[in-house]
Amino acid sequence: MKSFKISLLVLLIVFVGIQFIPTKRNQSENVPKTDFIIVNNAPKNIKNTFQTSCYDCHSNNTSYPWYNKVQPVAWLLENHIEEGKAELNFSEWDNYSDRRKKSKLKSIISQIEDNEMPLSSYTIIHKNANLSNQQKSEIIDWISKLDMK
Amino acid sequence: MKKVIGILVVALISVTISCKENKEQENMDGTKHNEEMQMESHEGHDHSNGEETSQREITQNNTKNGETAAILDAYFEIKNGLVADSKEKTASGGNNLLVAISKFDMSKLSEEAHKEYMEIEESAKEHAEHIVKSDIDHQREHFEGLSTDITDLVALLGTDKVVYQDFCPMANNNKGALWLSEVKEIKNPYYGSKMLKCGSIKKQIN
Repeated sequence: MKSFKISLLVLLIVFVGIQFIPTKRNQSENVPKTDFIIVNNAPKNIKNTFQTSCYDCHSNNTSYPWYNKVQPVAWLLENHIEEGKAELNFSEWDNYSDRRKKSKLKSIISQIEDNEMPLSSYTIIHKNANLSNQQKSEIIDWISKLDMK
Repeated sequence: MKKVIGILVVALISVTISCKENKEQENMDGTKHNEEMQMESHEGHDHSNGEETSQREITQNNTKNGETAAILDAYFEIKNGLVADSKEKTASGGNNLLVAISKFDMSKLSEEAHKEYMEIEESAKEHAEHIVKSDIDHQREHFEGLSTDITDLVALLGTDKVVYQDFCPMANNNKGALWLSEVKEIKNPYYGSKMLKCGSIKKQIN
């Protein structure tokens, strides 16, 4: 019984301790000129959908949930965002080559059509990030019409 | 003091449990995700500007360039993996392509060719990375983009191999998609055993 108490205490100390380890926050004040929405002059509905459903993990500006204040949740999110941005970062869209842009647009469409994005592990908490059928077809139509040289 | 520790312990346990639940939830989602992806048929998977793909041609590049051989061999390995419906063979081809790309000597390229090569390389690498880690439907999706890149690479730098440029009108949501092959016989990598013979030769290089 005594050892049980001690191990609980150790766990508690570790848990409190990790709260003090800082994490990188993925936030920036201004929207860069290379941003996908700006470069492609997206209409308002498209802009809102992208910002609500994609930008938390695929841009340099995340709108963090409250539980990001607690470790180890913050680490999980940090990893997640890092991976998401490596795959596709809308904030740096215009730095991509035309070849890469085309390929990304294609992937965006197929990921949305196949309901692979936004991730279900994300939408389970962010209910408003779920894409309705109408939003899906709006996005797909709009992307299909983007003129990629 | 005892009371305080007691409260802290309760708090700790509840937080730990809720974290664990979150994690499990995520795992469950992950598994579900995979199943969904595996169950998917190829229909509705690909989407692209078909006209552009079908019109993409290798403007006769007569350079008998042996430097591109390793990249092409790895590409053919991926293609043959998909023909055989083998995720593993395809993935191993993807790894070999990454190796071939990293060994490619860019120093002999002209400045202009170098710039284009870099863009092709960046894109091909990305497709190869996905091909290494994905299930077969997703591999096929990236193979389509990769085929465009490798086609452009041959058009840019040439090859000393005999290469056939094939075309399947049904792939890519009936918009059509290209692939390159080292053999004359049509063996369709987009459908594998489902429609092995679908497609035709558009062009022969060398």
